[in-house]
Amino acid sequence: MFLALKEMRRAKVRFGLLAGAVGLLVFLILFQQALLTGLINQFIGALKNQSGEVLVYNGQARKNLDGSIILPDQQAAIAEVEGVAVASPFGQATFTVTADGDETDAVIFGYQLGNPGEPTTLISGRLPEGADEAVASEKDADAGFALGDVVRVEPGGASITIVGVARDINYSVAPVLFVDFATFEAAKRTRNPDAAAILPSAIAIEVAAGSTPAQVAARINDQVDGVEALTRQEAVDGSPGVSSVRTSFAIILGLFYLVVPLVTGLFFLIVTFQKASALTLLRAIGAPARTLVWSLLVQVFIVMTIGSVIAFGLYAGAIQGVSNLGIHVEVMPAVITSVVVLALALLTSLVAVRRVLRLDPLSATTGAGIAL
Amino acid sequence: MSVLDMRDVRKVYRSGDADIIALDHATLQVDHGEIVALLGPSGSGKTTLLSIAGGLLTPTEGTVVVDGHDISAYNAKQLTEFRRENVGFVFQSVNLVPFLNAEENLLVVDELGGGKGGKTAKGRARQLLEELGLGSRMRNLPAQLSGGERQRVAIGRALFNNPKLVLFDEPTSALDTKIGAQVMELIRTEMKSRDTAAVIVTHDSRMTDYADRTVRIVDGRLTTNSAEATATH
Repeated sequence: MFLALKEMRRAKVRFGLLAGAVGLLVFLILFQQALLTGLINQFIGALKNQSGEVLVYNGQARKNLDGSIILPDQQAAIAEVEGVAVASPFGQATFTVTADGDETDAVIFGYQLGNPGEPTTLISGRLPEGADEAVASEKDADAGFALGDVVRVEPGGASITIVGVARDINYSVAPVLFVDFATFEAAKRTRNPDAAAILPSAIAIEVAAGSTPAQVAARINDQVDGVEALTRQEAVDGSPGVSSVRTSFAIILGLFYLVVPLVTGLFFLIVTFQKASALTLLRAIGAPARTLVWSLLVQVFIVMTIGSVIAFGLYAGAIQGVSNLGIHVEVMPAVITSVVVLALALLTSLVAVRRVLRLDPLSATTGAGIAL
Repeated sequence: MSVLDMRDVRKVYRSGDADIIALDHATLQVDHGEIVALLGPSGSGKTTLLSIAGGLLTPTEGTVVVDGHDISAYNAKQLTEFRRENVGFVFQSVNLVPFLNAEENLLVVDELGGGKGGKTAKGRARQLLEELGLGSRMRNLPAQLSGGERQRVAIGRALFNNPKLVLFDEPTSALDTKIGAQVMELIRTEMKSRDTAAVIVTHDSRMTDYADRTVRIVDGRLTTNSAEATATH
């Protein structure tokens, strides 16, 4: 500890620059992770943050809610499957609405009140308790979707009052209204008054105690023709575009996760080479190898911790600056990222550790590398 | 009892099919407070002898006893502890830790021994540096010290643990004649005042003036008779 801290104190600029570089790289990781989460939330936040544990789509919809309808006999069959506690219609469609005096597109999700399909991230107000009430996304509050605002479905449809605001419930990057299923049906009839019946896009399921969502989804797929049941996570991951976005970000993030520990490992290897003479001298006068290794690891830990703190500060500041993207400062992912990066940095610093362990104290007598 | 007692010590290096004898049946005793100059040309084996005496190297044959510790068969871990607790080293070149100031270069010995550089250790470091004429240079980094000052700090570090034996490897080779003489005078004074034994390796015969006894080494063999050494050489 003594050696590690003294050296860092005497080489503030060198270690400070490394901590700064680590901070910038970790910041990029945190920010890109937040961007990915924000993008996913904007694409399919409404699916991710609704209460249905299993969603059942039409088998030909290819996991796309827009192209899915469930027929009444399918709904009845789904409700009979073992492990299904509640099977409730879940509708989704995009409408033109007037909000804050402007016409805009909005996605309306209809669910039966009190049943699966309701939003789970309410942050103010309440859930709908009757017709023409909605929960809207926090992100769209400034666009006429704030608590108490009234949104009219066009052309000339119902006026829906925002009674609750929830976080991360956008869909296809459009404002979302979670309403009761009857209000959803009414909105659909506004656009198509002659429709014989308004069919749900999917069935949202609450799983009975003793079964898992995966088990129930498998049973539905086995027992009900023409449908595809997915757990909530599968529905999110399988939504069109999500996997390609995830893959692209995974490649970028993977590179960053590779670069940060490599930069750190390389730095400490260079530093170890540079101070080989001092380390050899210390070994010669009786420093156990483990003391020098410990000193190195303490320095890696300190640099990475300072770097992570810098990164978190930058990340928090940057997120505030782009709050319109619907991304938030999340502490736990930042902590997990920092711990992972620290672990990887400690791993790559093993090359420097190996170098320390190979120092021969006898070299002190030859004068090799002893010079300042 | 001698502080350093080396008997029939051999050090043989294997190079391909040939054996290279670096030290050949060397026997050497050094008493408390005695200063022995080990004089020999380059490659004669003097640094090998010093390294074996200090536990930096293990002998191929023979016994090495330092202050009652028979280190001949010590393993690497035991030798590390032995070096930390029982001997002091002053090496040929500048031999300080560059990122520690003069005082800290002494305190590092305490830290390596599990101490925390507390009040007692700091007091001792300061007292030693005062004695060595470095009272006003305690906070200076090695790069801010002259060659002679650095060697004095190294002497302070070697004495910090009150060892019974201090090993000097060409301590004045990087210094000019005047500073070298001052350092040798200082070494003699410090060793005598502490009754500490010292072995000083040198190839400069002028430095033997500061020793109680001179031992010559040629081709790995020790002799106290300069004529014999010359003849052998």
